[in-house]
Amino acid sequence: MRIACPHCGPRGVDEFSYLGDATLTRPASDAPEAAFADYVYFRDNPAGEHRELWQHASGCQSWLVVTRDTRTHAISQVEAARDVALARSKGAA
Amino acid sequence: MPEALIAKSPLRPHVASEVSAHGDAGVTLRERLDLRLAQISALRGREQELADAVRQAFGVELPATSKRVVSGPVAFAWAGPGRWLASSTAETDFSALPGAVSDQSDGRAVLSVSGPKARETLATLISLDLHPRAFATGDVALTHAASIAVTLWQSDDAPTYELVCFRTFAATLWRWIAHAGASRGIDAKLG
Repeated sequence: MRIACPHCGPRGVDEFSYLGDATLTRPASDAPEAAFADYVYFRDNPAGEHRELWQHASGCQSWLVVTRDTRTHAISQVEAARDVALARSKGAA
Repeated sequence: MPEALIAKSPLRPHVASEVSAHGDAGVTLRERLDLRLAQISALRGREQELADAVRQAFGVELPATSKRVVSGPVAFAWAGPGRWLASSTAETDFSALPGAVSDQSDGRAVLSVSGPKARETLATLISLDLHPRAFATGDVALTHAASIAVTLWQSDDAPTYELVCFRTFAATLWRWIAHAGASRGIDAKLG
């Protein structure tokens, strides 16, 4: 599997480390306990498109949001996690 | 009075001081001991100020992509978004630049690999395409060589490659390169 780092270009997956689901958002601090349990422990396991966080750990060390099909490993999109987070906070504001 | 700090090679106690080729050397391995290094990071919102200061002080544009620019004794290599590895063969002080500057002269080691078989030797350690059409003089790559994180650039068309790694990994990286070069006529010598 190869991931096209937006800063370095396409690299082998050995340069990247995987964190997990990129769609999670931390609940508000006054949210009920159940919301936090969901945020911390419960994950979907989709057969198909999944957005996930990867770090280009032995490259430029950027965090990336990778859209990957879990059945075929086909990667349809790679974005800098920073841009995704900024867009998300702009959307919330 | 404490003794003055003396820069010492991270390799001398750990590797054979000389490995010579029989006949013509296909690849030459050396340690660069003449470089001052500094990692420079742009502060958020002040990227332009840093670029302007570098242009004014050194007459070069900070590369925004994986390139290395040289200006006399000074060079700036891209080291990730908003980060650069500055090097100088002279007594250059980078600390006045408006960014987060940390001296790396003793924190990193720089190994130079050159000669007609340099590309072939590095190809056994690095999983990137180093063919001139993909990677040429002035290009930089952040990758790993034999699982050791390196900043790699090509500095001339000999070709000469330079690999920058954290100091404590230098001896292992040196031995990997010496091993990979053994069948390609390596000439490895400590400075």
